[in-house]
Amino acid sequence: MIDAYIGLLVLWPVAAGLASLGLRGQAARSALVLGTAAVLAAAAVGLATQAPFTASPAFLASATALHVAQGASFLFPAYFLFVGLKEKHALVIGFALLQLGLAAFGEFGLPAPAVVKTAVVCDGLSLALVLVVSLVGTLISVFALPYMRHHEEHQGFKTSRQPQFFMILLAFLGFMNGLALTNDLHVFSAFYEATTLCSFLLIGHDRTDEAKKSGLRALWMNSMGGVFLHAGILLIQKQHGLADIQALVDPALWAGLSLLPLALLGLAACVKAAQLPFQAWLLGAMVAPTPVSALLHSSTMVKVGVFLCLRLAPVLEGTTTGRLLTLAGAFTFLGASALALGQSNAKKILAYSTAANLGLIIACAGIGTPVAIAAGVVLMVVHAATKGLLFLCVGDMEQAIGSRDLEDLRGMIAKTPVTALAAAAGSMAMILPPLGMLAGKWATLEAANASPMSMVMMAVGSALAVVCWVRFTGTLMSGVAVAATPAPTSSLSTGPILTLLAGTVGLGMAAPWLNAMLLPAWQAFMLPDGWALLPPLFLTAMLAWILGMKVLGRQSAAKLATPYLGGLPSAAPGSFVGALGRNWTLSEGNEYATELFGEAKLTRIAGVLASVLLLALVGGALL
Amino acid sequence: MNLNTLYLAVAGLVLGPLLGGLAAGVDRVVTARLQSRLGPPLLQPFYDVGKLWSKVIAPASHWQGMFVRWALVASLASDVILAAGGDILMCFFVQAASASFVALGAFCGNSPYGKLGAQRELFQLLAYEPVFMVAILCLAKAAGGFDAFSIMAAQGQPLLFKLPLIVPGLLFAVLVKLRKSPFDIAASHHMHQEVVRGVYTDYAGRDFALLEVAHWADVTVVLWICSFLWATGPLQMLITGLAFLFAALLIDNISARLTWRTMLKTVAPLTLILATANLVWLYLE
Repeated sequence: MIDAYIGLLVLWPVAAGLASLGLRGQAARSALVLGTAAVLAAAAVGLATQAPFTASPAFLASATALHVAQGASFLFPAYFLFVGLKEKHALVIGFALLQLGLAAFGEFGLPAPAVVKTAVVCDGLSLALVLVVSLVGTLISVFALPYMRHHEEHQGFKTSRQPQFFMILLAFLGFMNGLALTNDLHVFSAFYEATTLCSFLLIGHDRTDEAKKSGLRALWMNSMGGVFLHAGILLIQKQHGLADIQALVDPALWAGLSLLPLALLGLAACVKAAQLPFQAWLLGAMVAPTPVSALLHSSTMVKVGVFLCLRLAPVLEGTTTGRLLTLAGAFTFLGASALALGQSNAKKILAYSTAANLGLIIACAGIGTPVAIAAGVVLMVVHAATKGLLFLCVGDMEQAIGSRDLEDLRGMIAKTPVTALAAAAGSMAMILPPLGMLAGKWATLEAANASPMSMVMMAVGSALAVVCWVRFTGTLMSGVAVAATPAPTSSLSTGPILTLLAGTVGLGMAAPWLNAMLLPAWQAFMLPDGWALLPPLFLTAMLAWILGMKVLGRQSAAKLATPYLGGLPSAAPGSFVGALGRNWTLSEGNEYATELFGEAKLTRIAGVLASVLLLALVGGALL
Repeated sequence: MNLNTLYLAVAGLVLGPLLGGLAAGVDRVVTARLQSRLGPPLLQPFYDVGKLWSKVIAPASHWQGMFVRWALVASLASDVILAAGGDILMCFFVQAASASFVALGAFCGNSPYGKLGAQRELFQLLAYEPVFMVAILCLAKAAGGFDAFSIMAAQGQPLLFKLPLIVPGLLFAVLVKLRKSPFDIAASHHMHQEVVRGVYTDYAGRDFALLEVAHWADVTVVLWICSFLWATGPLQMLITGLAFLFAALLIDNISARLTWRTMLKTVAPLTLILATANLVWLYLE
């Protein structure tokens, strides 16, 4: 049974993707994607009932499968090399060649590692990623159905390129599930490269100049990550003759040894998770259609990075490498939160906020104590739902009004009430107690006891994030004098949004139980009273909710007061007669404090500092 | 949760806002004396809220009543957490939520002054939150735990001697939270200024009365956390809290309002650096 679940989770999406290549009709494609969503969700839930377990399904354990993985370590870089040569992109060529060289060295220069006993080990962490991919990822794929139809009408493609698009989108989910479940480093690395390829193709999907440029940037940066990953794996193979991930994450194995291989893997993870100074590829990814950025930001690509770090976390506890990784993660949390605050482009706000939150998770991994890992896993799951929701909402609003600038989104609550309220709820779920993101942040802060500087950076980053999200919500809900007409919506787009909204709030409330379900041995008991403070807070929040809704019901029928303008309201809405009888027109705008949080300057400074930290990470392990 | 915790929680729920209201009354009397006036009776803030409660005024937005209730619940919850010996970091987060709701209610309104006030409220939040949080981290580190009881039970030497550098940061937070000059930037407690009543402009009648109660609850929490600096006994804590209150009133009366830029660029980094230095020093000890 377990083998069947794993097969469905990994192979079905890939097969469904190939099938979508042959489907040109909208209805058939919708049926395929909805069917895949149902299959993946059912298989993931089925897997959850069996976890934790070990298994060796033939398609991952057989000698053929291992040969395929070995072949992939040459094929992917070879394809990247081909792309690099075609586009004349020196960095892509360079990193592809390096990867090829490393693959050849691993194949011919080193003795083969010991055979991995079990091909699949599913623990709480793997299960968390599988659930994220199979539930959030498929919802985003469903949302993509109506979105891509509008998108193609808007872009004016001659022949529909949706078959290819959905092929990559669905296959991506399968590769992610494989990556979460495999216990073999070489298979892991093959899936890692596959996600790099998928994100390159998806980002460049629109084939505009900007899309091409962003795609290539994502490619060279992530193949650089691939180089770090390969180098780390080869060093592990040389030092220990191992490729078994579970055997590797035993602290006893590393006692007294240099952690350089793990630092390299950490570096690869930082690239995937778009940590400073590698955030550029994730920001470029927002030129892609909304479902792509939603998928990359919430449930796939970037989660590879944090997953890898959390996987290594038990070894990192109390080591210099771990402490430096914590500092680097906390620094990204601070720097990216500051960058988010200076932005008026809604998608850039989301992108920087993603980098920031992943930084927090990586900081958790660096701390490596059970409390910190529990906090990291909770953050990973809740962040996926919340960020998926926010991206879909912003994409939906963007399609409705044709702009993604926060200033244009002012008062969206009057135009697309459902989506705007869902976005408001999502952004509140990023910061409000007792929901999961804040509970995770709280646990992280208290778990970071050993690293005062990272605690201070988290404190500042946390304040920046609060301001950023309250302003985001406030702008969407801003009262406007001029009444707007609601925009039309599709049930295939509001369905996923509302489901994700329910998931965001539900998962947010469920943080303690999520922890108990996924990591029964590693509960956050070391916090004062563990998570025990949260249930009373939930009750309080529900009480507040009921009180608020009662008043809302009463007030929503009330006649509103005329705006206080410090003058006489004039006949035209939005203007007033002020001092000396002059007529004034109102205009509004947020203060972005660009002299403090301006992108150009801040990116430079933060990039330099983050590079220093990452160099120290590698250098510290080298010495 | 035992019965004792429950009693303490209820006491916090009732006494928190009452003490904050009394602090507001003391504020009115002391400020008047500093300005050679007689001033209103001590209980004037309670009479004011009673008067506001009796007024029914059209709201400026359908959402405001909801946000006011949420802010009130969050503020009271932060009192309860502290009184029941809960986690002070979570208490801080809950209180920050209350401040966010006040700003959101102002965003939803239709007055430009209210919205300007909301923007400023957020920049205030940005300025005092980090240093206040680092101060809390310092208190927890020095006392050996995040729960309020273990900080209050820290025997022997008052924490002040280990944490002198967080005093400026705490005073800064008190000035901002009490809406006192020179950081009375978002709400213009002293009327007839360029943002009218800032973030409060659009609130009126019952909603405003409840917001005032929430503000009292906030004041109690902030002063209470300050009083942890000398937590050798209830009387000492009361005196420490009052000392912070009087310092804030004195500064309010002798200083003019700064701009949010000065607050964010000068005062916030300076106090944060001092508090961080104190935190590092605790670790080196």
